[in-house]
Amino acid sequence: MNYEEDIDITNEVDMVVSAYPVQDDDLDEELLAADQSAQQYQEVQIPEVVKKFILLFHRSVLENNVYELQSIYEHSFNKLTEKFYANESWPEPEGISSLVNDDQVFLTLYRELYYRHIYSRLTPTIEHRFHSYENYCDLFNYILNSEGPVALELPNQWLWDIIDEFIYQFQSFCNYRNRIKNKTKEELALLRDNSQIWSCYSVLNVLYSLIQKSRITEQLLVSKNGGDMVEAAGEYGSRPLYKMLGYFSIVGLLRVHCLLGDFTLALKMMDNIELNKKQALFARVTACHVTTYYYVGFAYMMMRRYADAIKAFSHILTFINRTKQYHTRSYQHDQINKKGDQMYALLAICVTLCPTRLDENIHSQMREKYAEQSNKLTKPEEALQVFEELFLFACPKFISPNGPNLEDPEVVEQGVAFEPVQHYTKIFMAEVQHSILLPTLRSYLKLYTTMGNAKLASFLEIEPEQLRTLLMMAKMRSRQIKWVEGTLLEGEYQGTSDLDFCLKQDMIHVSEAKIGRRYGDWFLRNINKFQDILGGLELSSRA
Amino acid sequence: MARVSNTPASRPEVIQSLIDGVDRYNPDNVSILEEYLATQCTNKECDAMANLAILKLYQFNAHLTNDQVVNNILVKALTTLPEPDFNLCLYLLNEQMVTEEPVVRLIALQDLIEQARFADFWKLYEGDDIYKELTAEVLGFEDSIRANIAGAVAMTFQSIEADNLGAYLHLKGQALADFIKAQGWTESNGVVAIPVNKDNEAKTTVLTENIKFEQLTKVIGHSNDA
Repeated sequence: MNYEEDIDITNEVDMVVSAYPVQDDDLDEELLAADQSAQQYQEVQIPEVVKKFILLFHRSVLENNVYELQSIYEHSFNKLTEKFYANESWPEPEGISSLVNDDQVFLTLYRELYYRHIYSRLTPTIEHRFHSYENYCDLFNYILNSEGPVALELPNQWLWDIIDEFIYQFQSFCNYRNRIKNKTKEELALLRDNSQIWSCYSVLNVLYSLIQKSRITEQLLVSKNGGDMVEAAGEYGSRPLYKMLGYFSIVGLLRVHCLLGDFTLALKMMDNIELNKKQALFARVTACHVTTYYYVGFAYMMMRRYADAIKAFSHILTFINRTKQYHTRSYQHDQINKKGDQMYALLAICVTLCPTRLDENIHSQMREKYAEQSNKLTKPEEALQVFEELFLFACPKFISPNGPNLEDPEVVEQGVAFEPVQHYTKIFMAEVQHSILLPTLRSYLKLYTTMGNAKLASFLEIEPEQLRTLLMMAKMRSRQIKWVEGTLLEGEYQGTSDLDFCLKQDMIHVSEAKIGRRYGDWFLRNINKFQDILGGLELSSRA
Repeated sequence: MARVSNTPASRPEVIQSLIDGVDRYNPDNVSILEEYLATQCTNKECDAMANLAILKLYQFNAHLTNDQVVNNILVKALTTLPEPDFNLCLYLLNEQMVTEEPVVRLIALQDLIEQARFADFWKLYEGDDIYKELTAEVLGFEDSIRANIAGAVAMTFQSIEADNLGAYLHLKGQALADFIKAQGWTESNGVVAIPVNKDNEAKTTVLTENIKFEQLTKVIGHSNDA
C-alpha cells in the first residue's frame, strides 16, 4: 500500500475516545438492592428505581439537558433493562403516563424505546408492528409538521438510532410480510386492509422530508464550497436536532436504496458527503460511521468496482480494530462486531475477484476469521459454494418495495413470495462464475515471462481458443472504474492488477509490477526511537 | 461508452431535474422517461441513470411495467459492456422476469460477451431470428457490440491472426479489412498488428515509494524544536 494512501484516522479515533468519558452511575445502588427483594411480589407495579429513572428522564427531556440524556440513554436505560426487563417489555406507556403528567411528546419518545426493546429482546406481534409504525408517524409528524421547529434536543446517538431502528423495523416488516405461509386469517386480513402501514413510499417520504426540512444538502454544499451557513440552513436546519436528523437520513437513504437493489442511487445519495474528510459528521456516532462504510463498500462491490470496495472496507475495519477497547463499553459492541465480520467476508470475496495488497493487520485478521474459506476461494472446484456462503452471510437483508399480492387468492394459498435475497445472490453468483478460473490462471502467469498459448492451455487443461478467450476476459476484468476524486460515482478506468500481460499472436508476454523497497516507515520509526533514547539520556544526565 | 456516473451531454434539463429530485418516484413521470429512452435508441446515446430510474418506477409500481421498454433498456445496457449497467438493471427487476422470455435470451447474450466468448456470441445471435427482433429498436446495436469487442481485443493483443479477429468480429473479407483500417490497425500476411497502447503493453513497473513532503513535516518540526 502506498504511503500516501495510508489510512489516517487519528481524528476519528479521537472522537470515539472523547465520547466515552468515565461515567458515574446515576442509579442509587442501595435502592436497587432493596428493590430486588421487593420485586418478587410486584408484578404490575413499577419498581421504585424505574419510577425514579422515568422522572429523571422526563425532566432531562423537558430541560433539553443533552449531556444528562446521553448518560441516561446509553447507560441507565440499558442497566435497568438488564436488571428488570431482560425478558419482558418495559411498563406500558399508559402505565407511566401519570408519572409524567401525560406529556405526549415524552410518551412518544418513551414508546420509541419501548418498541425498540420489544424488537430486540422479544418477538413483536403484528399489533406491535402497527403501533410502532404509528408511533414513528407521530414522532416524525411532531418534528416535521409542528408550527415552526420544535425545541427538543436529543443526543446524536439517539437520533441516529431513531433513523436506524425505523429502517430496521421497516426491513423486519417486509420480511414478515413475505412469510405468508404461517399467517392466520386475521393477520392476513389486517395486512390486506392496511397496506399503507410500513409502505415503502412512507418510509422514503420520511427520509426525504427530513433531508428537505433540515436543508442539510445546502449546508453540506456551503461547508464544502464556502458561503453563508446560517442562510443555507434556514430556520429548521440551524437547530442541531434537525441538522443531525437530516444528515442521518442521508445515510438512511444510502441504506434503503441498497436494500432495494438500486446501488447507483444509493451512492448518489452520498454526493455531498466527503468520505475522506476529517471530522466528518458521520464519524460522531460510531454505528453511523460503520454503517456508512459498509453500504458504500457493498454498493461498490455490486457495481463491480472491487478496488473501491476494498478501500472502503479496509478503512473502516482498521478503524474498528484501533478503537476496539472503547467499543466494549458501548451497548452496540455486538452489532459493530457483527458488521465487522460481514465486512471481512465481503473483503475476502473482493480480494479474490480483484487481487490487491491489503494492509498487514487487516490481511491477518481476515485470514484468521476466514482461513478455510480463503483457501477454497482460489480453487475452481470449491470456490462457487464458498462465494455463495460468504455472500449470503454478509449481504444486507434485501427487501422488495411491495409485498406479495394478498388480494390474489392463489398467492395466499401457495404462500409464494418473491425473495429478494435469492434474486440478488443468483445474479451475483452468475458473475462470479465467470471469474472462477482466474486465480489459477494468475498463479501460472506469475511463474513465467513468456509462454506459448498452446502450452499454457495444456497446463490449464483447456483448449487454446478457450485460453485466448480467458485471457481477454481477464484483461477486461482487470480494468475497473476507480475513484480518483469527486463524488462517489465518478472514477476513471484504471488497471487494478499488478500482473500484466499481452498476446503477440500465440505468445503470451507477462510482466509483474514489483514493489520497490520501502524505507520511509523504517526511517520514521528509528527517528522516533532515537528521539526517545536521547530524551532518556537527557533525563538521566540531569538527574 | 456511457458510464452510470457520467452525465451524457445529451441529457436534457427536464430529465436531469427529474432524476435528481423526488419526482423520480412519481409514477406519472414514467412516460417522460420512456420517451427519453426511445430517443436514446434512435440517436445511439445511452443514459444509464435515466434508464435505471425507469426500472425503479417499475419496481415500485408493477402495473406500469412495459415489457418492451424493459427489453430495450437491457439491450442498451448490452451495448455498453463491460460496464456493469446490465447487472445493475437486473437487480432492479424481479425474479420472475429474470427467468422468463425475453430477458433470459438477453442474459444469455450478456453471458457470452462477459466471458469474452465472442465467436459463440455471434453464433447465438445469428442462429435465431428472435435476437434480431429483440434488438430491432436499438439502432446501431451490432456496431456498438463490435466496437466493444474491438476494445477488448486491443487491450489484450499486440498482434492477432486475421482469422481469429474475423471470428470475434463476425466480419469477413472486405468488411473486415475496412474495419481494421477504421480502427487504425494494420494487416500483413494474415496477421493484424495493433499499435501499442496503455493496456496491451506488458511492461515491468516498479512501484516505488512516494513520500510527500507534507508527511514529514511533523518529524522535521520536532527536529527543529530539539
